[in-house]
Amino acid sequence: MNGMNVPFVGQVPSDIVVAWIVSILLGIALMWWMTTRKKWPLIWEYITTTDNRKIGTMYILLSMVFFIRGGIDAMFIRTQLAIPENDFWVFQSQKYNEVFTTHGTVMIFFVSMPLLIGLMNIAVPLQLGANDLAFPYLNSISFWLFVSGGVIFNMAFFFNAAPNAGWTSYAPLATDTFTTGPNNNYYIFGLQVSGLGTIFTAINMIVTIIRLRAPGMKMTRMPLFSWATLVTSFLILIAFPVLTVALLLLMFDRIYGTSFFLGEYGDPVYWQHLFWIFGHPEVYILILPAFGIFSDVISTFSRKRVYGYTSMVIAIALIGLLGFMVWAHHMFTVGLGALANSIFAITTMLIAVPTGIKVFNWLFTMRKGVVRITTPMLFSLGFIPTFVIGGVTGVMLAVAAADYQYHDSYFVVAHFHYTMIGGTILGAFAGIYYWYPKMTGKMLDEKLGKWHFWLFIIGFHLTFMPQHFAGLNGMPRRVYTYTWEDGVFLLNFVSTIGAFLMGASMLFVAWNLYKTHRLTDPVGADPWDGRTLEWTVGSPAPEHPFQTIPKINSIDAYWYSKVERKRLPKAEEPRPSPIAIQTVAPVLLAGVLIVMSVGFIYGWVWIQVMGGVAALGFFIYRVFHDERKAVYRKEEES
Amino acid sequence: MKKLFWPFVVIAFLSGCQMRVLNPKSDTADTLTNLIYLSFGIMMLVLIVVFVLFVYFLRKFRERKGTKFDVPADEKENKWLEITWTVIPILLLAILAVPTVKATYDLTSKVSGSAEGSKDNAMIVEVVGQQFNWKFTYENGKESYDELILPVDQVVEFRLTSNDVIHSFWVPNLSGKIDVLPGEETRLSFEPREEGMYQGKCAEFCGAEHTLMRFETKVISQEAFESWMQEE
Repeated sequence: MNGMNVPFVGQVPSDIVVAWIVSILLGIALMWWMTTRKKWPLIWEYITTTDNRKIGTMYILLSMVFFIRGGIDAMFIRTQLAIPENDFWVFQSQKYNEVFTTHGTVMIFFVSMPLLIGLMNIAVPLQLGANDLAFPYLNSISFWLFVSGGVIFNMAFFFNAAPNAGWTSYAPLATDTFTTGPNNNYYIFGLQVSGLGTIFTAINMIVTIIRLRAPGMKMTRMPLFSWATLVTSFLILIAFPVLTVALLLLMFDRIYGTSFFLGEYGDPVYWQHLFWIFGHPEVYILILPAFGIFSDVISTFSRKRVYGYTSMVIAIALIGLLGFMVWAHHMFTVGLGALANSIFAITTMLIAVPTGIKVFNWLFTMRKGVVRITTPMLFSLGFIPTFVIGGVTGVMLAVAAADYQYHDSYFVVAHFHYTMIGGTILGAFAGIYYWYPKMTGKMLDEKLGKWHFWLFIIGFHLTFMPQHFAGLNGMPRRVYTYTWEDGVFLLNFVSTIGAFLMGASMLFVAWNLYKTHRLTDPVGADPWDGRTLEWTVGSPAPEHPFQTIPKINSIDAYWYSKVERKRLPKAEEPRPSPIAIQTVAPVLLAGVLIVMSVGFIYGWVWIQVMGGVAALGFFIYRVFHDERKAVYRKEEES
Repeated sequence: MKKLFWPFVVIAFLSGCQMRVLNPKSDTADTLTNLIYLSFGIMMLVLIVVFVLFVYFLRKFRERKGTKFDVPADEKENKWLEITWTVIPILLLAILAVPTVKATYDLTSKVSGSAEGSKDNAMIVEVVGQQFNWKFTYENGKESYDELILPVDQVVEFRLTSNDVIHSFWVPNLSGKIDVLPGEETRLSFEPREEGMYQGKCAEFCGAEHTLMRFETKVISQEAFESWMQEE
């Protein structure tokens, strides 16, 4: 069952053969569907668009595709670990290592990040009263770089070269001395290309928030999701270049024989520092936007202003700041010494304080409100206890000495799934259900949404609660099997059942999408009785949503205008709106970067050169084709 | 989800004495277990407060027929409440931070390479990790693979290094982890207090057969250890 002899190719593991067959069949079905339904013009419109709503929708759609991939990886992991000494299909040894590596990397970089960035794209300009992001063209580039990185990374598996050094890709295991073959080159280039796109998005968000707020919307009147986006964008701007540097050094070690992380002059611990100086802010990059979503959703469905707005903003900023001072808590067992370990233990514990402030503010937003339990609110409510469990295990892990026991055990696996799924993924789901009308003009079915929520959250706790105890019973992470004597069978078995429950819950999402689009009517501008500006424009949000820009004079201005039965006043002199165009350049650039990356991954120099020249060509093209020039000239003349 | 949580906590307490990390058989592991229980206790306190408020607010303020069209009044933030939930967590963390720092200093001077000299009475064992086995070298030059033999009630100091990638040395019943790095020497020491067989594992992902990089730790009486050392 392990290998198949494919003509002209040779021995190929059977899972890869199955994946090729399924993908080709699905591809043919998709092509047939798009052609018979005459969807090609629509697809062309989306491919060439620079509109924030369309780009945001594509981010979310593609993240969902990657979510399925990462989810299938998770199912393989849980099936292999269901019983002791199991031999499920091909998933042992190096194959298992590939599966957990891609599961982690895909879920962090190609699911969580783009889900949140997609929601930012859709909601942030609308919340601010802006007609688009500040740089629509750059936004399109960002999106296509993410696509490009996603394709590069996911391609690896189909060529039997999936990365296999863990999502943390620790040196020296990830250097070419110990992992030969192209596998971990795919990791480097996939992340490098999509990471560039993320940095551009951060710049775009910062400029949008600083420049394009509607007149009267002071920083202190901004919705909390926009605030979270602003702080997150600064974190990205600082943290991602560190990842870029780390990946570049690793690439030189792997491809050009340098020894940054190995040998007499190098040190593998350098990689850990660089990776976690990026990696720890990264988890706050993933959680802060989710916090923002929860703040907006909980306030809307408690029909009350968020409690402690000022302290909420300060807490976001503090978490962002402290997030840069805790990276070595991932390295307590490296032997950095008692002083370093103590300092990082204390800074890590400190993060609990602003996080706690936020939790209490959410609770007190509900207090004395009218709490309406809709699907987005259910996800937000599920988040509070779940994330608090993840938070308290976080403080337990911060106890440096005790971490010598927890470190790299299933306790840690449980902890970060409680924060990442309990925070980021629940937040993304809440956001998708909440803003779905703004994306598509329709509202997802509430009943199916609630089924999704309950199955997902029950499955989640069944999966990850037992893993705490598996860790305490001595089960290290990243192992593909365990013995009967280990005494972790029942815990793992329950965990596997939970994982399949979570998988099943996603079927309700598919059913819901089908039902919503086939059977329901479009909804109006404000289906949730919202508080912020996105609910003043049509559903779906049109390309130029604010024909007249409103003037803002308080937090939740739209809500108060509804309460007082008045219209929002019109702003006198808003800043000019960004200019949208249709362009095919970004998608072509993405294609060129895939080609160039493949050249580097396999060491084909001519492809590298051609790809590099073509990529530079896009810069030159862009210099002479700037859609803003004509507009600026007109403005100057008038 | 809360319904599922409590049975697990109960199970955890009932089976706590069987879980390896919470079943310490050395001085070092003892300290760690106490620290884990302390942090768990403090954190349960926080958890309970949040859960109680959560359930209470949710039941009391859930939308009802009578409140469907109510528009609740805006409230001003209460300064004292905000100070409460800022200061109390800081106090709780301070309570936790003191033993944390103390234990970290106590154990880390034993754990990492920072302390040059070793205790006079410590027995030294050289450990070499490599893909995918462990080599132990004792004071008289005797070697063993994937099997660590230790005398009971005797302080032992490990000096660990790797031949290839990073590994991590972990015997959950006896001590926390210490990473095993290529080109560097890390240290770890503890005193086993009970005879028995304990699982040892590599805890840092180290390649294809990381899963199989295990070893058996046998803690035996001092006499038995002496005679084992003399065996060829």
